[in-house]
Parts: sequence; structure tokens; C-alpha cells
Amino acid sequence: MTAMVPPRHLVLRSPAQRVALRLPLRALVILALLTAALIVLTVLSLATGSYGVAPGEVWETLRGMTVSRAIDNVVWEFRFPRTLAAALVGAMMALSGAVLQNATRNSLADPSLVGVSQGAALAVVTMTVLFPAFSGGLRPWIAFAGSILVALAVRSLSHTSQGGSAIRFILMGIGLSAFISSITSALLTYGEIDRAMTALSWLAGSINATSWTDVRTLAGWTAVLLPSLLLTSRAMSAMQFGDATALGLGAPVALTRNLQLAIAVGFAAIATSVVGPLGFVGLIAPHAARRLAPAGMGLHLLLTGALGALLVLFADLVGRAAFAPVQIPAGLITALVGVPVFVVLLIRSRPANAS
Amino acid sequence: MNQMSAPAIVSHKLRAWSGVPALLLALLAVFLLHIAVGAKPLPIQTVIEALTGFDSTNFDHVIIRNLRLPRAVIAIVVGASLSLAGALMQGVTRNPLADPSLLGLTSGAAFAVVVSTALFGAAGLALIPWIAMAGALGAAAIVYLIARLVPGGATPLSLTLAGAAISAFLGAVISVIHLLNQDTFENLRVWLTGGLAGRDIALLAYVGPWMALALLAGIVLAARVTLLAMGDEVAQGLGIRTGLLKAQLLAVVVVLSAGSVALAGPLGFIGLVIPHVVRLYVGSDYRWIVPYAALAGAAYLVSVDIVARIAIPPREISTGIITAMIGAPLFVHLVRRRTR
Repeated sequence: MTAMVPPRHLVLRSPAQRVALRLPLRALVILALLTAALIVLTVLSLATGSYGVAPGEVWETLRGMTVSRAIDNVVWEFRFPRTLAAALVGAMMALSGAVLQNATRNSLADPSLVGVSQGAALAVVTMTVLFPAFSGGLRPWIAFAGSILVALAVRSLSHTSQGGSAIRFILMGIGLSAFISSITSALLTYGEIDRAMTALSWLAGSINATSWTDVRTLAGWTAVLLPSLLLTSRAMSAMQFGDATALGLGAPVALTRNLQLAIAVGFAAIATSVVGPLGFVGLIAPHAARRLAPAGMGLHLLLTGALGALLVLFADLVGRAAFAPVQIPAGLITALVGVPVFVVLLIRSRPANAS
Repeated sequence: MNQMSAPAIVSHKLRAWSGVPALLLALLAVFLLHIAVGAKPLPIQTVIEALTGFDSTNFDHVIIRNLRLPRAVIAIVVGASLSLAGALMQGVTRNPLADPSLLGLTSGAAFAVVVSTALFGAAGLALIPWIAMAGALGAAAIVYLIARLVPGGATPLSLTLAGAAISAFLGAVISVIHLLNQDTFENLRVWLTGGLAGRDIALLAYVGPWMALALLAGIVLAARVTLLAMGDEVAQGLGIRTGLLKAQLLAVVVVLSAGSVALAGPLGFIGLVIPHVVRLYVGSDYRWIVPYAALAGAAYLVSVDIVARIAIPPREISTGIITAMIGAPLFVHLVRRRTR
């Protein structure tokens, strides 16, 4: 954790001073800035592409006016779902990472590093290749099942008699990921070529084919998972001080940890089932949020979500615009940004964690 | 070792020696089998005939000579090279997790080959080994630097983690380059999954001599690796110039890994699996581990390639997929067992 310099706070009190909310000013300002940046990036994302649309025209279209049929179609049918999906997926991956880091007390945790994303990928590829008839609605559930199995495996494997260590935990995840990925690749070789191609483009972590149905799936699950996460945030902040202290503070540690794991896996699995494995977002966003503004757990989670949304939106935009007409999947951009961050975090990790 | 009585040492030696002919026989058997199986199964008899008395009018002989023999030879060379490199790395760094693919050497080599192909088009075959070596060396250096900077120093775990990070990064860059150059992509796609299918025998002529030399050097240096594995100070006390030895071993490892990548693409986990299996049989003396690893690695990769070719006819699985499927669980086991 970074050293907490007491920041200035905004204190909200109910008239009779029954309820008071003390919010760090800096975090609030940054959350506002992030939201503004999200809006700007959204408009940019809607305007960018092979069919040029001016930002002004985007604005008009969003307000419900029809500038032209073509623009209406491009913005509403193609770019808007894609943009929303990018933002939602980013937020979900970021939150999943934040929760995993908290639950495992491991600052290097990320759904794609510990095999959760790969578990979802294997489950979805298995379904696409072997049982193409079952698709659509069942996909998130199957992804969830695959992820939770892997999460449980990593968890039970990395707990040895000496207790878990941060690096061992990640290495275990890397080993399991390699194993799962090899099965996924074998399935891809085995499958029909066109089904394999569908699965392959999805595996690169690409957002280009998202539809309104996907957005509805993502938004629906976020609407369920985010509030449940925020409900556990008090116990989460207690758990930052270690299990013993958290128990002493009256936090239901075991229950919270299982709940957190389920939520983290849920976020990662649903996001993965829609856009494919998207690496390192869950690693970067929580750390960036902590550096930008120290805040209580609830606000920290919101900041993390906003940052994750911003990151993936940005990655998608860069991947789309940098080498147009070739589209670079957002997952590759996040990996390119994420690895250096990972290395820096590794170098800065506390010696106690490093062994 | 030093607690063994004289007869125990003799029997140990006998046991170690006795494995060599067995391994050679096994290698020969899988080699012949590898050539015999395939889309058109050929009797072993024909295989032996084609190898001993080649008849250019016999269609089966032509298949064997032109298609199947090169692939089998490449499997032998690459299998031996990767597991020998892994054994040396494990000895030098006293790191049970060391492996050319885990520490980023193979992805460095692959990255260098892809970048140079994208920049210069199909660069001459003669250049590829050198480019691959430069890439492997560069990646190894970066991985080592990162691991050094991690609190706690270059431990097996931090080295492996740094290797994984570098591999992930280089992998992403390779993917981006692919997407930008669709024609390069077509040529390199199969190669990058670590496949032995359709490999260019011409390349073997360029890389082969160097790899053979490095294999020999590895076996010659193996005795001193045993001393090095006991610790730098012990080795120095016994009159080993550790700096020079390490440089020589690094050169051997880089040549072997880069040559393997040039021939067969990044195949994972072979250098991890084989030395550990070999150690179960011959103990901790690198004089035995290294040559055994070379033989066993060759036999292993040939067998894996047989499975890759016949598992799901008529298609082929990439050899690298199967090596990962076998190697990753062992990796998890090793990480789990490590107490530090």
C-alpha cells in the first residue's frame, strides 16, 4: 500500500448530523475528471473509424436527431455498442483485478495472469467447437463455470504448508494457464476451420464484433455484481490489514473472501465470454487508482472501474485508429501497456512477497 | 555422493552406463516409427530399406527421403538441443525452473526472426540463425536484469516471472506485426505454434553444424557444471574459472535455443521436463545428466511428434501444444514443491 498522506476531505452531513459521509476531495475530483475523460473518449470513439463522422454530428445523433441515415446506422448500430462494451469490459476486468488483489493479498494478481480468463476461454472454445448449437445465452454461464474451476484449482494448489506467496501464486497461474491454453489450441486444431476461426478472433481479445445483445449481457451482470461488491467493501478494507486484524474488527473474513472470489471470477468470466481474454487491465487499473488518489475502499473501487473503462476504451480506439484499416485487438494493446507496468510492480514488490 | 562406498559408486556407474544403450535403442525405435507412421503408413521394413539402400524409382522411398526423414532429423536435433540447454541452465543457475522457453530465450529468438522477416522480407536463410541468436541473448539479458532488480534478487521464481512477462510482451508485439503484415503472417503462423510440419531442410544445413558443435561443447563442459552446481565458491576453490565457464555455457545455451527456434519455432517446456526426468534416473551429476538429457530429449520430441501427427487424423496438432500439455503440469508441480 502507498503511504497514506491525510488528504483533505469533503464531509457530507445529514441535517441532524445522524449520517456523515467523509470523502477525500482529491479522489472525488479525480473521479469527476475520469468521468469527463470517459465522455470525451466515448465521443471520439464514436467519431473514429473508416466512415468519418464529425464529433459535432455524433453529438447531434446522440441527442436523437438524424443527421443522415448512414451516420445514424454507423453510430447506433456499430460504434455505440462497441464503445459501451469496451467501457463495460474494462470496468469489469479492472474490478475483477482489484478484488482478486484484495482477496489474495497479492499485488500482482490479474484475472489473465492467474488463469481465470483462460478458464473462461477454454470453456467457451469447447462450446463453440464441439457444441456449436448451444451458443448465445448460455455462453456467460459456461465461461463462469470454466473460470471458477480454474480459480479454485489455483487457490488450492498455491496454498502449501508454508502459506501462499505472491510470486508462487502467479507462477502457478502461469503454469495452469499454459496447460489450459494448450488444450484450447488443440481444440482449435481439432475443430472445423470456420468455427475455429470464429474462436480464434475472439481469443485475441477483440471488441470489434460486439452487438447490443452483448452490451445488455455486460450491463445486466454489472448491475448485479457491482452493488454486491460495494456491499462487501467495508469488510474488504478491514481485510487489507490482514486476516487476524480483520477478524478482530468484526469482518466476516471467510464469507467475504469466498464472496469476493465469486464476484471477481464473475466479472472476469462475463467480460471474457463477450470479448475474449483481455490481459493486464485488472493489474494496471487498481494500482493506477491507488496512485492517483488514496481513497476508502468503495471510492477506490469506483475509481478502479472508471480507470479500467478508460483504459480499454483507449486501447480499442488506438487499436482501431493507429494502423487503420488493420485493426489491432484491444487485448494486444493492453498487453503491450501492461507488461511494463507488471515489471515495475514486480521490481517494487515488497521483499516479504518476493521470496 | 561422497558417502557412497566404493561398490556403491561402481554400481551407480554401471547403472548409468547401462542406460545409454537402452536410450539409443529407444531413440532408434521411435525414429523408425516416426518415419513409418503418417497419412500413408509404411512398413518398418521399407523405412530401413529407404535409409540403407535408397531407390529413387520407389515412391515410398522418395516420400521417406524427402518428407519424413528431414522432419525426424529435425525433431531429434531440436529435442536434444532444448533439453540439453535446459539441463545446463538448471545447473548453472541452480534453478530447477530454468528452461529456454520459460526464461524468455525462445520468445526472444522468435521475436527477432519475426521482426527481421517483417522488416527485410524473407531475409536469407543464412541470416536467420544469427538473428535468432541475437534475439535469444537479448531476451535472456533483459530477463536477468529484471530479476536482479526484484527485491530478493534473481531467484528461480523471480527469473521465471520475469521470463513470463517478457514472453507475454514479445508475444503481443509479434501478434501486432502479424496483423500488419498479412503475408509474413501466412508464412510464420505455423512456425510460431512450435510445429515441425513442413520444416525447411535447407535451414538445417545452416544451423545444424553450429548446434552439433554446441551439443558437443555442452557434453564436454558438463563435468564442470556439476562443480558449478555446488556453488560458485566451491567451484572456484576447485580451480574453475567460473566467469569464463559461465560465458561458455551461456554461448552454448544461446546457440542451442536459437537454433531450435529457427528450426521448429518456440517449443515450450522440453528443457524443463527432460532434465528432471533424467535426474530421477542418474542423480545429480551433470556428467550424466547432460548426455542423458540430450538422448532422452531427442527420443521425447520424436515421440511427441508421432503423437502430434497421428492423434487426430487427418489433421495434425502442433507439436508445441503437446509439449505444453505435458510440461505445464510438471511446472506447476515444481513451483508448488519449492519451499522458498
